[in-house]
Amino acid sequence: MDMPLPRVHMVRKKTTTENSHLLLSGADSIELNQNSSDPSMTSFVEGAERSKSSSHSLKEGLEDSGECNRLQCISSTPIDSSQRQNVSNAKEGSVKQDKFRKDLSLPFAVSSQRTRHDSSHIPKSKQSWLLRLFESKLFNMSLAITYLFNSKEQGVQIYIGNRMFTFQDDDVDAYLPQLLNMYVQMRDVAEAIHAYIVQRCRKSVEFAIKTTWLLDAYTVYQTQTGSKCGQGVKLRNAIINDGLVPRTNNKSMLGHLALSFNNSGSHHLQSHSDLSPRVNKTFVKSHSRSRSDATGMMNFTLTPSPTDPILISAAMSSNAAGYLSMGNNAAGDLMSGKAFDNGCICQQASYSDMLDSILRGSACKCCAPQLQPEMEFVTALMNIGQRLGALETKEQRTRHLIAELGMLNLNLPARVWLPVNRSTHMVVRIPATSAVVLNSKEKCPYLIYVEVLETDEDILAAPLPPRIPESQLRLSHSDEDFCPSPTIYDEPSLKPFSQPMAAVSSDMLDDQDCWSQEDDDIITFAMKSRASDTLSQYSYESSHSADSKDVYVTASDIKRRLTESLQRPGGRKNFKRDPDDPSATAMKEPWHQKVHRLREASPYGHLANWRLLAAIVKCGDDLRQELLVHQVLLQLQQIWKEERVPLWLRPYTITVISADSGMIEPVLNAVSLHQIKKQSETSLLQYFIQEHGPITSEEFLTAQRNFVQSCAGYSILCYLMQVKDRHNGNILLTADGHIIHIDYGFILSISPGKNLGFEISAFKLTHEFVEVMGGIGSDMYKYYKILILQGLITARKHMDRIIPMVEIMQAGSDLPCFGRGVSTIRAMKDRFHLNLTEEQLQELVDNMVESSLNSLTTKLYDGFQYFTNGIL
Amino acid sequence: MSGDKNLSRKSSAQNFKEKVVKYYEAIFQDKDPSNGNGNFWSEFFLLRANIEALQTQFTTISSHDVQSIKPNINEFFVRCVSCLSEPQSMRTVNAIQTLCGLVKGAFAQSKGSYGFDVIDLLIGFDQAESVMQKLIDCLQKILSSRESAVSLKNICLRFLLTIVTLTDNVSQNTLLEYLMINSIFDALLLILSSSTLRCNHGNDSVLLLILLVQYRKYDSTNPYIVNLSILDNDIALNGLSQIIALSLLGYNRQYREKLTQQKSTGLMSSFTSMVGSMFGSDETSKVKFKPDIPLLLALYECVHLNRNFVLALTTSHAGGNFGSTHSLTSDPADDLPPAIPRASEVPLSQTGELDQPTNLLATFIEYTSIITHDVRDDANFNVSKLCFIILNCVSEDHYANSLMHDPNINFRIPIHRVPMRHRKLSMEASPPSGPLACAVLELQVEFLISHMMKQMPAELYTLSLSAIHRLLVYQKKNRVRLSYPWKSLWAALTNLVKYILSNEAALIKVCNIFVMAQQVVNIFNMFITYGDTFLSTPGSYDDLYYDLIRRHVVYDNLYALALRYANNDEYKDHSTRLVHSLSNIRSVINHFCPKVDSWAKVNHLSSLTEEQVLEVVKTNYETLTLKLHETLDQFERYSEKPKESSFFMHMVRSLVLEVREKAVITKLEQTSLLKEFTTVPTET
Repeated sequence: MDMPLPRVHMVRKKTTTENSHLLLSGADSIELNQNSSDPSMTSFVEGAERSKSSSHSLKEGLEDSGECNRLQCISSTPIDSSQRQNVSNAKEGSVKQDKFRKDLSLPFAVSSQRTRHDSSHIPKSKQSWLLRLFESKLFNMSLAITYLFNSKEQGVQIYIGNRMFTFQDDDVDAYLPQLLNMYVQMRDVAEAIHAYIVQRCRKSVEFAIKTTWLLDAYTVYQTQTGSKCGQGVKLRNAIINDGLVPRTNNKSMLGHLALSFNNSGSHHLQSHSDLSPRVNKTFVKSHSRSRSDATGMMNFTLTPSPTDPILISAAMSSNAAGYLSMGNNAAGDLMSGKAFDNGCICQQASYSDMLDSILRGSACKCCAPQLQPEMEFVTALMNIGQRLGALETKEQRTRHLIAELGMLNLNLPARVWLPVNRSTHMVVRIPATSAVVLNSKEKCPYLIYVEVLETDEDILAAPLPPRIPESQLRLSHSDEDFCPSPTIYDEPSLKPFSQPMAAVSSDMLDDQDCWSQEDDDIITFAMKSRASDTLSQYSYESSHSADSKDVYVTASDIKRRLTESLQRPGGRKNFKRDPDDPSATAMKEPWHQKVHRLREASPYGHLANWRLLAAIVKCGDDLRQELLVHQVLLQLQQIWKEERVPLWLRPYTITVISADSGMIEPVLNAVSLHQIKKQSETSLLQYFIQEHGPITSEEFLTAQRNFVQSCAGYSILCYLMQVKDRHNGNILLTADGHIIHIDYGFILSISPGKNLGFEISAFKLTHEFVEVMGGIGSDMYKYYKILILQGLITARKHMDRIIPMVEIMQAGSDLPCFGRGVSTIRAMKDRFHLNLTEEQLQELVDNMVESSLNSLTTKLYDGFQYFTNGIL
Repeated sequence: MSGDKNLSRKSSAQNFKEKVVKYYEAIFQDKDPSNGNGNFWSEFFLLRANIEALQTQFTTISSHDVQSIKPNINEFFVRCVSCLSEPQSMRTVNAIQTLCGLVKGAFAQSKGSYGFDVIDLLIGFDQAESVMQKLIDCLQKILSSRESAVSLKNICLRFLLTIVTLTDNVSQNTLLEYLMINSIFDALLLILSSSTLRCNHGNDSVLLLILLVQYRKYDSTNPYIVNLSILDNDIALNGLSQIIALSLLGYNRQYREKLTQQKSTGLMSSFTSMVGSMFGSDETSKVKFKPDIPLLLALYECVHLNRNFVLALTTSHAGGNFGSTHSLTSDPADDLPPAIPRASEVPLSQTGELDQPTNLLATFIEYTSIITHDVRDDANFNVSKLCFIILNCVSEDHYANSLMHDPNINFRIPIHRVPMRHRKLSMEASPPSGPLACAVLELQVEFLISHMMKQMPAELYTLSLSAIHRLLVYQKKNRVRLSYPWKSLWAALTNLVKYILSNEAALIKVCNIFVMAQQVVNIFNMFITYGDTFLSTPGSYDDLYYDLIRRHVVYDNLYALALRYANNDEYKDHSTRLVHSLSNIRSVINHFCPKVDSWAKVNHLSSLTEEQVLEVVKTNYETLTLKLHETLDQFERYSEKPKESSFFMHMVRSLVLEVREKAVITKLEQTSLLKEFTTVPTET
């Protein structure tokens, strides 16, 4: 039963012990398969079956059934080239497509044969062990990237590249940073997964944009150092130039695309240069430049004249300039009101009818640049961040932010989405006054709340909601406004109702008696012109007051009401407004309250699919490390969930936009420990009691358990990833007692203060934390230690899901957390303590908790942060 | 006889006469200038137009000749118009200028004829409609075309401004009827919506729009009013507000600069100026500048007519946003100043001065605080009144109020104070940051305390008090608890009453002091009976009582005054009403004053500290009954007609005179225009 293990080892050229876990699980799967007597036979049969099914799904995925050839190749049934040719010829498709297919499959065919030849000393059946692993149910993305990274066999890489088509999109997306980093760094992997990435880009704009951003971020090192312009940059430019974005399945378009893929396949991706003569940053500039050149003719001639669609499709296939002239030249100009409009005219009824007759499909057909709106949207947000950074005080920044967002708002609704969420929504409004600047000294991250409308359709195809002027709100909100809505203003007398009003009320200020009589007239008058529900409040109020002529109140009543109404919003107190820390108030407000408040205040609030989202926009910060930790967090969470260890983590979505900008999903209903300390001026335990009730209350105990479970979870993370810079500003506390660590700027081999080792403890554990747990020796404290132990053990068990992720990102990386190169990874592996027994591990945990609690450096660092940054 | 006159002119200026003038003369002498030359008109417009000469030609016409030369002039006019529809060139410019001269001359010649005759003389009744339509179409095309040069657009706008300002009273200008039929609103809107166009033509467009809005405002359907009031294009509205804000901002900056200059002159001068001010002339330390009537009128019309403008009023503009995010505007050619500058003298948009984001309302509040310094000057008084009317309109609007009270929209708005004898002028380094409503209140309080002078601007006081009242009504209705130091307001109000009392004899001649006092008392009644709905701390309610008790003599006197006039026929109604509404203040005073006195007696104290009085107040609320005045939260909504219509007629009239003066094209400009058109050929 142990047989397969060494064989698999032998196939892999670079095999290291750390992969033993991974291989073990691989071996497990094969063991399952070996229940039948003849291993090789089973493998063949199963392999063939599976290849059938996978080829089936491939057909859907690729619109190109040629892929199955390759799979059949892999299933160790040698098919000669003529046979393959026959198969592919049988399929319909343009000649170019065939060529493309051939070109892509050829290197594999060659290499697979070569592999077989090279490893001739290995019995033929042994080859299939790896294959069987690949084809087993247990082969997942985690294994796929590991093999992609470690295997130097081109055949294996290409097989995985093809196999990826059968995975769920979401599974693959979870490893997108790894895939793209390999794409950038490793030419052979790039070749293997190019087809897959291109395919996904064509299917979804969201994927295309994400890919572009990540490529941007991971190629920055290459472009900076001026080394060869790699395949990553080329792919990025190809995507941006709209060559690879979703298109209709128009024949000529496909042909056009196929041509470019074909070239890239055979000539190792060199062909995109004709699409993208300019590289990277300079490209962006010239892009907008040419757009502005086109302005002259476009702005006023873009009245939808019935240009014949043939012309459009011609432009589609001709060149990039064609898109530009079709596109909206105002894109990017925030003052135009159409900054996020790519000029797509497919939604215009007359056009879509006409186009539908020629081109079928739901996607955009007018070849407007599809990535442009979202790109411009994100650029606009980043530009705001950049400008804010130049300002000094928080107050100035806040005001600037509100102003800038107000301007941005003029361009909404648009077919754009908030990148930290799935693109199943359209941004309709950004309530500018709710946005806050976050606490940071040099950089200026800010938090925005975004109103969106959810859609089921592809947002590029969904109809754009009409812009509702902000002032529409008053129609439903004002209770004193008797003037008719502006839309009935056409009458010669502009204010038909103001005159009678004036006549009636000419001396109402002075004479109560006269008013009370006319009162009803006015109300009936107003009733005619306005919806009754808005008026009911008014009529209620005024009729009440009018009925009784002389109403008397006592002064004490007024005083009492005043005192009471001021105390009423008690219970959980909101934080006071602090101009130097605007985010504290914003974060403290419970999310559902905020949603309710903003929905009330939004002109779009009445729509059923209205949602409120939030994002932190970071400009000038490298979020690639955050992204890595986010992935690790997700893995740990998944592992603990599978193993039923009740550890709590809260991974928050990171969107890397470039090497120095990105967006973060804000954690809702959470404030930092620093803010809590500053605002409540008590200890953490007191704050818990204040928020959740006495120590013995149900609510407190729940909060305490939450606290412990999250504390333990993050302690493990902090230890494994060596998360540093753990001051109280970087630790959040949620409304239900969980703690969340944020800001992973210092992980692995980098720590603040030039790696002087301020924080040498394994993780941050203060006496205050322990106090909340109930003190040293309490049950919850013990529970905390048990949780850490369990967590570590399970994490160790699944270490092979974590290490490769980190390891791949280390390849060719300029990230500071990999400053110590390969030894960084080795040190990380060591922290899993593979060699320790459970007892030893328990001892280790005890020691770590002990030393962390008594760590002098933690206190020192907190003190340091207090003195330098005023963080409590 | 007329021939003789012309002959003599001819002989005297024979040698210097330009060719074009000769042609003018020919036209006005009922001759055919073309003289059989088929290309005459196309050549004619190549000649540089001489507007003055053309205008003087009209003075030579006697009433006899009118009928005979009318066909000639009509032909001339039509030629000009048809020249506009040709591809743009120097000819277009000359044609527009010629039209300017024609229109101006004709109107100058026929004084007070309401323009009917003029139209007949210029175009001829039978074809007037079609010709004017063509003319306006051409102008609109030039204005909205991307290709037309900046100067051409400017000259176009100037021509339109010339037309609009032909008569002192806009409504009497019959020519405007054609602009009503063929609306150029869309072209103006286009200019307002585009950031580059706005930069070059924004002011003139706004000016034109505002003047067009004035045309028979009250008695006809004016499409500009209709369009402006239903306009909901945020971009255009924001553009509008930016143009206004930019101009006001320029004035504010100018004021601040002068202020700092004065400050920096040193201790000695400040001492001398203090001494100087002791002798009554504090003019020296005041900074004067010409008020910006056109754009304030524009602001008024927008606020008054358009409900959607409120948002633009409170949308912050950040410096960078005046342009675009991309460098679309940074075309080097655009940086050159156009040959024809704009008619309105408004500081050019410099993004540098807009480092601080601000919004129109904030800018406007600061501006108002400056302009109200000196209301003795007639022009300043009018502008102040306009500003206060705008503030009233704004504080009447629910949505505007909700934005003004939004705790998230904070601004630091400097409220500039007048230097006065009894207080030192200390310019705070940075004014407190708060919602806009706070700034409005502060502005009003500042106005109230700084204008108690012999010629009391009663009208402004009334407006100021009603603005305060409107804000309070909003706060009461929506339970908005603004953290504002109400004590300053109470003190100002009480001081006002005190001033009225002591200058009763003088003031009663100029204004109805009872109405004003009534307003003050109403505001106090709001606090007394509805304080629970909008005060921000329980303590401030106590403070209110403390203030009333402390200054009870003032209200006793006011009560006495009102009683005194109860039998006066003229003021009977007003004074009884005042007596009536004083009931609450009187019950407060009558309730607490004896209690405070007796408390002092019991404790053997001659005078009490504030805390002691407050203690008495707090313990004695129980037994005090107050009357609820129901109509406290009602106010007469602002309406321009009939109350203010004469005021606005007057304002518009002065605006017309001002614009008319500026909307001429001088020789110098013509020369540079010529240069521009020869060096920068328009691509046609």
